[in-house]
Amino acid sequence: MSALAQQWSEAFHSGGGPAGPAWLDDIRLRAVEQLNEHGLPQRKTEAWKYTPMRALEAMNPAIRGLEERLAESGAEAVVRPGDLLESPDGIIDILDGRLAGRSCGRPGVSIVPLRQGLELYETRLRRHVETVDISGSTRAFAALNTAFLENGVVIHIDSQVDAGSMLLRWGFSSQAEAGMHNSRVFLLLEPGARLHLTEQFDESSSAGQALNVISHLELGEAAVLDHVYVQKEPENTVLISTSQVTIAADCRYSYAGFDLGGGLVRHELQAEFAGAGAHAAFMGAFVLDNQRHVDNHISVDHAVAGCSSEQFFRGVLGGRSRGVFNGRALIRAGADGSSVRQSNANLLLSGLAEMDTKPELEIYADEVEASHGATVGQLDELAVFYLRSRGLSESAARRMLTGAFCHAVTDRMDQAGLAARVADLIDEAMPSDSPE
Amino acid sequence: MLEIRNLHATVGGKAILKGVDLSVGAGEIHAIMGPNGAGKSTLGNVIAGREGYEVTEGEVLYKGRNLLDLEPEDRACEGLFLAFQYPVEIPGVNNTYFLRAALNAQRKYRGEPELDSMQFLKLVREKLEILHIGDDLLHRAVNEGFSGGEKKRNEIFQMAVLEPSLAILDETDSGLDIDALRLVADGVNRLRGEDRSMIVVTHYQRLLDHIVPDQVHVLADGKIVASGGPDLALKLEEQGYTWLEQGGIQPLQPELRA
Repeated sequence: MSALAQQWSEAFHSGGGPAGPAWLDDIRLRAVEQLNEHGLPQRKTEAWKYTPMRALEAMNPAIRGLEERLAESGAEAVVRPGDLLESPDGIIDILDGRLAGRSCGRPGVSIVPLRQGLELYETRLRRHVETVDISGSTRAFAALNTAFLENGVVIHIDSQVDAGSMLLRWGFSSQAEAGMHNSRVFLLLEPGARLHLTEQFDESSSAGQALNVISHLELGEAAVLDHVYVQKEPENTVLISTSQVTIAADCRYSYAGFDLGGGLVRHELQAEFAGAGAHAAFMGAFVLDNQRHVDNHISVDHAVAGCSSEQFFRGVLGGRSRGVFNGRALIRAGADGSSVRQSNANLLLSGLAEMDTKPELEIYADEVEASHGATVGQLDELAVFYLRSRGLSESAARRMLTGAFCHAVTDRMDQAGLAARVADLIDEAMPSDSPE
Repeated sequence: MLEIRNLHATVGGKAILKGVDLSVGAGEIHAIMGPNGAGKSTLGNVIAGREGYEVTEGEVLYKGRNLLDLEPEDRACEGLFLAFQYPVEIPGVNNTYFLRAALNAQRKYRGEPELDSMQFLKLVREKLEILHIGDDLLHRAVNEGFSGGEKKRNEIFQMAVLEPSLAILDETDSGLDIDALRLVADGVNRLRGEDRSMIVVTHYQRLLDHIVPDQVHVLADGKIVASGGPDLALKLEEQGYTWLEQGGIQPLQPELRA
């Protein structure tokens, strides 16, 4: 039970909650009941025990995005200076959780506001919505998102269509008051469809905002999705995201997530293989200083035979920051020929920083290849000396080494130009202080 | 160029150098030989400023300045170069990128304009040509996955680009086969010059067949116990260090050197 959860529940009942379509009403009601009954995750909630809620509770954000229901628009979105992609084929702007602008040049690609999508793709979306676990305090944010399910976007790509690159820009309208924004993204790739999706946050984000997003990524047979996520939000931003990825036979899914900012950030990535011959890669890096917190919870379900998955995460932690990596892979009985590789390495730049890393491989099949490794260490002082002995200052040497440590992730990305751009952002985010 | 006086140093509280005196003039090559544990590598590390090597007594003057007051990077910028016995592997840092950053840091220190990537590449090509080595090292991460020979060649290549006035080669011959040894030695010889001094630390005389020193010193138990011309190295190779420890020839006795 928490005051914040109660406050949000009250906002729902006092008429601030969304309405329609009818099939969602019961689902929303059930969700708000869960939220009200169980509250936010507590320290004793196992899956959240390292994730402190105090920053969010101190922020005390009210539910936003509902009062401007009519403002959801199809305004034409254009590239802005500083965007991660110079000439994307499509752009989506989501402001305070609502679709605020879009553009798409390619045929076979449609981008619609969530409310419209709920009608257009009712059966499919309903199936996804119903798979979201909303029970108990562990799933409080999923319940919250479901209770206020109204804003967001549906992206649909026709069969065999190469949608090129798409930029999804998250932003907050400048408002002095803290807000909790809920948003839902559905990305439906029909068989053989291809997309490069890059998510970024707008520079203009104002202080004290919380964003709670659930994404449903549905990859039809042999679809290819290259998914990149970059955020360098201020320290008073809270980002909670859950991605549910369903992967059909012969698909390729790649996620590369970079958390170079934010105050309290938690990503839950849940992927399920539904057909043989598919591959999924989850990569990421975070660079933290001060009291920032980043969680990555990956869970890959090898429900069928003949799929491979990898997890490759790097973390750099300075100040009093804290990171969590929980990499789970479940290989079910009969999922022979599965392959799982997992690597999580972390650098602590400060004696007060903390990293909790937990690989979880659950294997119930016989013919399986699996490897995992997790390390938490410090910068190699001999390497620092080596660089200094060639003339680099101590801080330059440390930045070069910590940067290189994270570039191991960008080096694995397919899009070279974007990877170089992200590598630069990583370097900029590096804390320059020495371990003392 | 370099003046070491009564240098004492400890590593982890243990006395390793116990009063080293050494004077190296401009353009000279000095070889330092000695048995395992004599303090040869410690001497190189102390001069380069590695953490954990504590100087307890004595001084090191370099171009008339107290070297021990300087940070390692400032020593490098003043023209000091240590070729590591075990060059460090640095995954993820491209060799060319690293070397350009290092050279530009040194140029900036000296008030010279930094080189852009085109100018740097031109310089690198020249140096590779002088050293007769291919450009395969350029595109790889610093020392990562390099063979022993490649690592040592990369050290010499860095030295060629950074153009130090005092280079310390710490067992640059160790772990090299005869061909690799010759390649590295040839590289060093091409970098010899009137205003470049070198200290060559080695176990074996064979390196000195290729890099002929002006003087040879024997370091034993933290002190220089003998100094002489290149023939001292030959004598040592013949007789071994035990011969030296048993008294050997007259100049080997430290009290007579004083």
